[in-house]
Amino acid sequence: MIERPRRLLVPILAAAALAIALPAVAFATQVILLSGSTAAFPLLELLTDKYSALQHHKVKFIVAQGGSTVGINDVAAGKVNIGDASAAPTSTTPGGLDFYPIAKYFVCVVTNKSNPISNLTTSQVESIFEGKVTNWSQVSGSTLTTPIDVESRTSVAGVLTTFASTLLGGAKSTVVTSHATQWASEGLMQNAVANDPNAVGFLSDYYALDDKKIGAVAYNGIGCNVANTVNETYPGWAFFYEVTRGSATGTAEGRFINWIQTSKPAKKIIEKQWIPLTLPKTVGG
Amino acid sequence: MLERLRRPWSDHRAEQLLGAVACLLAIGIILMIVFIVRGAWPTFSHLGLSWLGSGGNLDNQVGAMVNTSAHPAASAFAFHAWPLIWGTLLTAGFAVLFGLAISLAAAIFIVDFAPPFVQRTMKPVIRLLAAIPGVLYGLIGILVLVPFIDKHILTTAEQNSVINVIQLSGGGLGVTILLVTLMITPILTALITDALESVPRAWREGAIALGLNPLRATIAVSLRAIRPAIVAATALATARALGEAVVVSMVSGGKAFAPNPLDGKIFFLEPVETLASEIVRQADNLSIPVLHSTLYAIAALLLFSSFALSLASYLIRLPMRRYQVSN
Amino acid sequence: MASAQPVDSTRPAPPRRRRHGRRSSLRSWRLRDQITFVLAWTVGLGLCAVAISVVVFFAVEGIQYLRPSLLVTHPSASVSQSGSGGFLDAIEGTVLLGAIGLLIAVPIGVVTAVWVIEYGRPRWLGRIVESTVEIIAGTPDIVIAIFGLALFQLGAFSFLSFSEPGGAFGRSFLTAGAMMSFLAIPPVYTATRNGLIATPRQMREASFALGKTRIATIRRVVLPAVRRDIATGSTLGLARIIGDTAIVILLLGATLRLQSDGALGFLSGTGSSLTSYIYNNSPAGDGNAPDKAYAAAAVLLLLVLVLNWGVGRIGRIGGPPIHAERRLGA
Repeated sequence: MIERPRRLLVPILAAAALAIALPAVAFATQVILLSGSTAAFPLLELLTDKYSALQHHKVKFIVAQGGSTVGINDVAAGKVNIGDASAAPTSTTPGGLDFYPIAKYFVCVVTNKSNPISNLTTSQVESIFEGKVTNWSQVSGSTLTTPIDVESRTSVAGVLTTFASTLLGGAKSTVVTSHATQWASEGLMQNAVANDPNAVGFLSDYYALDDKKIGAVAYNGIGCNVANTVNETYPGWAFFYEVTRGSATGTAEGRFINWIQTSKPAKKIIEKQWIPLTLPKTVGG
Repeated sequence: MLERLRRPWSDHRAEQLLGAVACLLAIGIILMIVFIVRGAWPTFSHLGLSWLGSGGNLDNQVGAMVNTSAHPAASAFAFHAWPLIWGTLLTAGFAVLFGLAISLAAAIFIVDFAPPFVQRTMKPVIRLLAAIPGVLYGLIGILVLVPFIDKHILTTAEQNSVINVIQLSGGGLGVTILLVTLMITPILTALITDALESVPRAWREGAIALGLNPLRATIAVSLRAIRPAIVAATALATARALGEAVVVSMVSGGKAFAPNPLDGKIFFLEPVETLASEIVRQADNLSIPVLHSTLYAIAALLLFSSFALSLASYLIRLPMRRYQVSN
Repeated sequence: MASAQPVDSTRPAPPRRRRHGRRSSLRSWRLRDQITFVLAWTVGLGLCAVAISVVVFFAVEGIQYLRPSLLVTHPSASVSQSGSGGFLDAIEGTVLLGAIGLLIAVPIGVVTAVWVIEYGRPRWLGRIVESTVEIIAGTPDIVIAIFGLALFQLGAFSFLSFSEPGGAFGRSFLTAGAMMSFLAIPPVYTATRNGLIATPRQMREASFALGKTRIATIRRVVLPAVRRDIATGSTLGLARIIGDTAIVILLLGATLRLQSDGALGFLSGTGSSLTSYIYNNSPAGDGNAPDKAYAAAAVLLLLVLVLNWGVGRIGRIGGPPIHAERRLGA
């Protein structure tokens, strides 16, 4: 009586486990691990999805996030195949890495939509983010009289580096006031600004322009948008990079990067929200 | 192979086999200690116990760690965990205090005073509350409670008064305590209710017959009899409160700040980060050696606190054994 | 129902009520006791109110955002958040994690309980095993998760997850499920143990008298008698597994879709569960699509309600209980 169900149970469970496991065994696939920039994450999800489909799912991707520095460190340590970075290599970047630009993006200074301010000058941005000005009433052009909530990113963020070096007028990422909340990802920063009428922060294009509760502020009178970045009148832009350990030429990673840089479908995806490269450093075949 | 298994086992072999499986758990715990301490070792060997102290801005210390290399110098380990420890003590302390008061009252109500109909409804309700996944409370917290506090409870004057120290935006100690309390109260209530029910009816009825009113009788007889169970339940609830990571990271305000009790109402609106929530917040950075070691050190601290809780609960219960009805 | 209105001190009591001791004597209580009594009622009903409001809240949000199509479509990367697909993979992930976790936890939990209660020699070892379970019950899930990461990133376990030249990835359904079993072992153990303790000695002695060995008695007499306890414990354990977030976030790799790998297929691949899907789509995560989070939360809550109802059911099916059933605690 008791024995019978137990004897049945084991084969059933084994069969269930196999049923889940087997389809995958049928065709061996290659898996490419990526980690890094949260700003580049939406783009890479789209690109890897498309590439996987075009290769009949013989190549699969796992895209982890973490921040540019994390991606660079991971690929340097051999933990992932490709690191995603949203800032150029610096003097502290580990050696032996190749940086391949895949697209241009731009960073906007953002406020909550309920904040009517539409333009900030370089000096205004600096004094707000350095914590010298703490109330919206001290910012000319603003009608708010509430305290300013400065939102920033953790120091792994390539977007922070880009923001600091292009819009903040200094290369040091530490100039942002230590009172600012440091968010671990673009999504968190986006949410913080969307839900706080007094907030000011900076977001990469995808996150800044996608949310109806967020307004992108013009910088020195130049609108933060794709057109102004393409014609390079807006200064706050940088490249997304794919980072590999050693040259990517001839490897599966290299073929993927080359596909991003040169193929039509990739260009179409990039054009949705980012700016395709004009003169890329390409990977050979 | 299967044939051999089907044959009746000898008692001796069965005992050894079952015993070996039972010992797996102990081995698991030992492995856990070994791996976590091994991961944490660089931090403690460089900083010793000063790691537990206070000093500097913790978020900036983590930020500096992120940019360290694969072979870090000793100076890269600069980290002072006190804001996290303080945050953990505050959230767990308040939550257990509130939770214990609520669940004692609730358990007394369920067992001795609720009409049978209410009693029958309450038990599944408590069981349901205990089973609700934490992330659902976190979702309510971050989408409903935090914006509500930001709009209706937090005033501009309060924000201005601390603007040079910290930004307030709704998430913080108050919401965190509320949610953690909500999460541990059902567990406490369930355990205390179970224990109260195991007190022989006659004990309490005897006390009532001697002239105590029913509430006094419950407090004087039943609660006294289940003290060991209350201690054990509190220890378990405290461990849960200490270790709650995801919910806290969702509503605590995103800044490792040590709230100051002298700030009055603002105290409960100040952001806070606990040991456990800091691990979730920095989980993506585990590949950076210095931060890896720091996070394992935090985990080691949590692990040893939960051991200490188990031990303390055992030691407190020892002298109570003589009167216990359940354990 | 006679005592449903405890505080009623304004009207003079009709003499007939004297017989209902508790109610009529309330007026003679000390004020402090009266206040405590009212508080106990308030708290009890307050807890009910919390439970009802949580369920109603998610029911309302669920009706608002949950579409059947969400349950059967894969999540997808998208520029617009309305186009991010459904959460079929998250549901599959939850089921897979629950299955792996229980497959490990139930045998270990049951065998441990049987050994402790039926053998338990040497005594000191029995005590150690008992307190080990207590310690595991009190160990935070985040610590278990971070331990799993350190363990499974060892080269020796590289077959359990994706592996790279720099070492194993350490994140997969198998590794997450194995760590999840730590959450389910204490409830399984406790329920089985309580069942074993409550099983009358005579049942065992009758079996011994018929010449059965101890292990045969356990297999044919004792274990069948505690089947329901094992089922209850397993269900409670399952509820803890599907409700856990920290282990999933750290140990499942957080890919949108189930990704399979090598010979073990999805088992050594990465994915998400309902809890991590909710976390990722809440403002705290990177997806930030609250509608989807609400929809998935409604599904998760429904799952928990069903499990909870199951625990209640198990207590009642299958004839009169051998012993009193009182197990609220996890």
